[in-house]
Amino acid sequence: MFSQFFGGYLLNSELVTKEQLTKALDEKKNTRMRLGVLAINEGLMTAEQVEHVNVTQQTVDKLFGDLAVDLGYLKPSDVDDLLHKQPTDYLLLGQTLVNSGVLSNADFEKAINEYKKKLALNDDDISGDQSEKLSVLVNEFYHFNTAENAKLYTNYTTLLFKSLIRFIGDDFTPLEASVTRSIAAERTVRQDITGAYSGVTMIACGKAEYSMFSKRFAKEAYIAAEEFDDASSGEFLNVCNGLYAVNESNEFGTEISLTPLTFTKGETLELGRECFSIPVQFTFGEVEFVISF
Amino acid sequence: MKIEDMSVLVCDDSMFARKSLCMFIATLGVKNIFEAADGKEAVEKFAENRPDVVFMDIVMPVVTGIDALKQIKDTDPAAKVIMASSVGTQSHLKEAIKAGATDFLQKPVSNDQVKKIIENISKGVL
Repeated sequence: MFSQFFGGYLLNSELVTKEQLTKALDEKKNTRMRLGVLAINEGLMTAEQVEHVNVTQQTVDKLFGDLAVDLGYLKPSDVDDLLHKQPTDYLLLGQTLVNSGVLSNADFEKAINEYKKKLALNDDDISGDQSEKLSVLVNEFYHFNTAENAKLYTNYTTLLFKSLIRFIGDDFTPLEASVTRSIAAERTVRQDITGAYSGVTMIACGKAEYSMFSKRFAKEAYIAAEEFDDASSGEFLNVCNGLYAVNESNEFGTEISLTPLTFTKGETLELGRECFSIPVQFTFGEVEFVISF
Repeated sequence: MKIEDMSVLVCDDSMFARKSLCMFIATLGVKNIFEAADGKEAVEKFAENRPDVVFMDIVMPVVTGIDALKQIKDTDPAAKVIMASSVGTQSHLKEAIKAGATDFLQKPVSNDQVKKIIENISKGVL
């Protein structure tokens, strides 16, 4: 999840455009990690040293690692360690952006260091999956701590993003949220939360994005039909909300229930309360998640 | 009982959940698979076909999964009904067990769990 929010950080910092980021997310599955980016991430080399090795490689027929050792930037043991490191997703994203010339090594070094420092997270936190650490990412991005029911928003949104990665795919970037009282979309699916407290959850997007979202969730079971799009997207929301309800019950002893799903096509919905609208940019288009507690 | 001789009823108001579960059960070799889109239809299809096992959602329109479970158990106390719900909270679990559910699966239901249940019923150990 760090990778997606790091992408959001790059976008909000105007280091990349939405189009560049979406293209990189699409291409990163074919990207091979290079030692230079790994060395920068580990703090073993500066971007300037990596550039020096890259430039020297144009005149000397040697591998990056061997040359970095010759130039005194790395020890042979550093090269071994780096070669055995599994590339994490955010590094693959960074490497793809460097490869396509969107970011220089120096831009990447500055961005990754500033982002880690801002979040006060170390590499173990980033590669792990602890909800507590993930909620730091979510809160830093959306500033839910200023909202009433901040904990509910943080818990729900953290679970939502974990569910998106698990069921839909990791090729997305969270965009800035806004507060709204109405939603206009070609397709919506809504499920309310009742019981210990009330809540609204909704997916809203265009027709094409709705079909793609449904296709991703259904996988090989997908049938190209509008009714099936409703069933599949609705089931994603239902499963996500169900997992949230189980967490609330197990962790806090809070019992909540879910209402049956409702669907709309091409309507403007008055929500009757202030809701957070959380747009998410997938490689296939933008999907909006609306929540209110 | 051989798996191919078994009959299964899948009850879920979500067409997606229903179709994907039916598709997977068919790959295990089960030939007689019935579908119901709400609790009322589940009770009717159960009475009509007497399946060896029922997979039942909880949150459904018309008649809920728990109420359908109670009605099925009233007509056949030996009926094997597996609740498969997205809301596996403690209260739902207790309610389902009290009403006579054989097992409870949290959605998204894994294929391995379904396979194990079908195999165990086939072997007569569930």
